[in-house]
Amino acid sequence: MTTNLTRLSMAVVALASVVLAAGVAVAGPLDHPGYVKSATCSACHGFAGASRSDTMPVLAGMDAAYIKKALQDYASGKRVSPEMEPFAKQALQLGVDDVAGYFASQKKAPTPVTADPAAVARGRTAAATCAGCHGADGKGDPSKQIPDLRGQPPGYLRNQMMLFKADRRSPGDANLKAIKTLMKTVPDQTFADLAAYYSSQR
Amino acid sequence: MRVTRRQFLRTSTAALGVGLLGGCAAAMQGDFMPKGGKRVVVVGGGWGGATAAKYLRLGDPSIEVVLLEPNKEFISCPFSNLVLSGVRTLPSLTISYDGLRAHGVKVLHAPAVAIEPEIQRVRVGEGFLQYDRLIVSPGVDFIFEQIDGAGQGERVVHAWKAGDQTVTLAHQLQSMPDGDVFVLTVPPVAFRCPPGPYERTSQIAWYLKTNKPKSKLIVLDANQNIVSKTGLFRAAWKAYPNIDYRASNKVTKVDFGERVVTTEFGDRVKFDVLNLIPPQRAGAIALRSGLGGDDQRWCPVDHVTYESTKARNIHVIGDATTGLPVPKSGNVANSMGKITAHAVTRLLAGKPPVPMPPGNTCYSWVSDREAIAVVNAYKIENNKVVQIEQKLTPAQSPQVAQNAVGWAQSIWHDMLG
Ligand SMILES: Cc1cc2nc3c(=O)[nH]c(=O)nc-3n(C[C@H](O)[C@H](O)[C@H](O)COP(=O)(O)OP(=O)(O)OC[C@H]3O[C@@H](n4cnc5c(N)ncnc54)[C@H](O)[C@@H]3O)c2cc1C
Ligand code: HEC
Ligand code: HEC
Repeated sequence: MTTNLTRLSMAVVALASVVLAAGVAVAGPLDHPGYVKSATCSACHGFAGASRSDTMPVLAGMDAAYIKKALQDYASGKRVSPEMEPFAKQALQLGVDDVAGYFASQKKAPTPVTADPAAVARGRTAAATCAGCHGADGKGDPSKQIPDLRGQPPGYLRNQMMLFKADRRSPGDANLKAIKTLMKTVPDQTFADLAAYYSSQR
Repeated sequence: MRVTRRQFLRTSTAALGVGLLGGCAAAMQGDFMPKGGKRVVVVGGGWGGATAAKYLRLGDPSIEVVLLEPNKEFISCPFSNLVLSGVRTLPSLTISYDGLRAHGVKVLHAPAVAIEPEIQRVRVGEGFLQYDRLIVSPGVDFIFEQIDGAGQGERVVHAWKAGDQTVTLAHQLQSMPDGDVFVLTVPPVAFRCPPGPYERTSQIAWYLKTNKPKSKLIVLDANQNIVSKTGLFRAAWKAYPNIDYRASNKVTKVDFGERVVTTEFGDRVKFDVLNLIPPQRAGAIALRSGLGGDDQRWCPVDHVTYESTKARNIHVIGDATTGLPVPKSGNVANSMGKITAHAVTRLLAGKPPVPMPPGNTCYSWVSDREAIAVVNAYKIENNKVVQIEQKLTPAQSPQVAQNAVGWAQSIWHDMLG
């Protein structure tokens, strides 16, 4: 037993020194070329986009084209957010593709905020009307820039639904007419259930 | 009286060694932690220093990172105004340094006593630590000399560093009889957290309105107007007729016996409870180590690496810095921590630093459930930090307050998680 362990650890040491000698460095968490352009984002979205709060969306593992579109919409003022407008402009100046690529390349990190199981069950039923675009589990469709709702914080999802309903997210956008018309038919209380359901999906 | 550097070192080492370190001093003698490979010492485990320490380890785990911080736990100034109004508790703003330890940061709970730039050493207790690069993030210290009667600050309740002072002020506010007068004094710029005094005004006014309707709050502001988010604070204060806000009223004297403060024009204002926020300068360790600029108040730095313009291999970040178009905020200190960690990692590897711009968001609570915010994004142009845009929330709202909570959770974790 002892000898096995010793042999094993010697092998590990030997391997490590080969790696070191060869100068092969494993890429660290800050080595992605997009990191230096995204360092201000973690103050709200968490390190590498793994948001921990109920209000700030998770960016880790999000589709790059969707991130890019969102940043362009914030920067132009089409999608209104006092927090995001300046930071979207910063990302556009630094290189939006690198920023989007950085977050898209991160492992998806579902929110740590837990949802009430009863609300999840109610939300599953209510989500039938959304499945046509978002898919049954909320996976979305990158080819149509329909975002992945799975694992987003419930507070964030609910808030976005309220904004759609009141036509305050990208007001007047013809492409979003269908979703907004649909949201108007959903009672406010149901938003929390829908949010709980999508948030709990992985 | 001029104190020579050697005399100063001797006396301050002795004073701090006995007073603050107590039993530990004995262990910290000579080169008590000999340096092996590359080492960065970080002075101060607040918003700037804690972030820098963590990100150095994320960037290059071969760097030994030693963090000097006298406090056993981190306590957040952001959200501490809510402790005064009883909306939050201090424990909910208190975070352990174990997260940094898990990243391999060596956390020493002792103050840096002096810096010796020429030989790249920091004095700690009776001994010293050698460094390849030093990051200094000591926050602010108070200029009590500018307030007659304040002495060394023994009786001043500023609550401008979160901790015991916050609890003391909360207790004084909450135990004051209905009808008593609360006086809050605001120092001239530059001070830590430009919107901070006005957020505090809002919290105290909300508390008094709710709990002590006969009391009033007099704000004596040394500045000509509310320094930050002026319109939004003015709008919020419409709900608080108990605020008596007086601009251009610089307090220069305090009499704790008579319970009176005096302004530079000789106006005497009586108080029952006094929150005196004194004028500020960079943390003492930075100034006494020669890192201060011509004003001997704040520390000038390079805008890309945050290396001091006064000493090589020493970087200064956070509230202690000057010359950048950024507010003295925790969010900016966090940005600077990340940028400096990246620059130091590159410099130690013999590579050129990559220009990285900072960012800022300052949320302010104007009641128990609503907040406002100011947001600043920056770029680097010709190696200088330049603002791209400043944006305000259009109005106060519960949604902004919820975003403030989200920001706090994320950024605390970004620093210490
Ligand atoms: C009431 C209030 C509300 C605020 N609200 C906000 C807000 O909502 N948002 C925001 O972004 N900012 C806010 N701020 C500002 C924010 O707290 C500061 O800008 C931030 O703390 C600056 O970080 P720093 O690293 O420079 O200093 P600090 O965070 O103060 O850290 C300095 C550290 O250095 C240590 N230190 C000092 N001297 C030595 C020494 N010789 N050796 C070793 N360690 C030493 C200290 O113990 C301290 O822990 C607020 C401030 C106040 C007072
Ligand atoms: C001060 C906090 C803050 C900072 C800093 C911040 N964000 Fe955001 N971000 C938000 C908030 C709040 C929202 C939701 C806004 C809304 O209601 O549309 C958001 C939304 C987003 C979205 C849309 C997500 C979705 O699911 O549609 C993207 C993409 C994004 N942010 C990227 C970034 C990037 C990139 C950065 C850094 C350059 C950044 N953010 C910095 C607060 C912040
Ligand atoms: C017609 C297609 C369509 C339908 C039906 C639809 N959505 Fe969407 N949804 C979209 C598109 C497209 C977006 C992205 C909008 C943008 O780019 O700003 C979106 C965005 C969202 C977002 C914001 C996600 C984020 O990360 O910001 C939420 C939440 C959402 N939808 C929920 C729902 C719910 C709940 C339903 C059912 C009640 C629904 N959607 C039905 C197309 C649809």
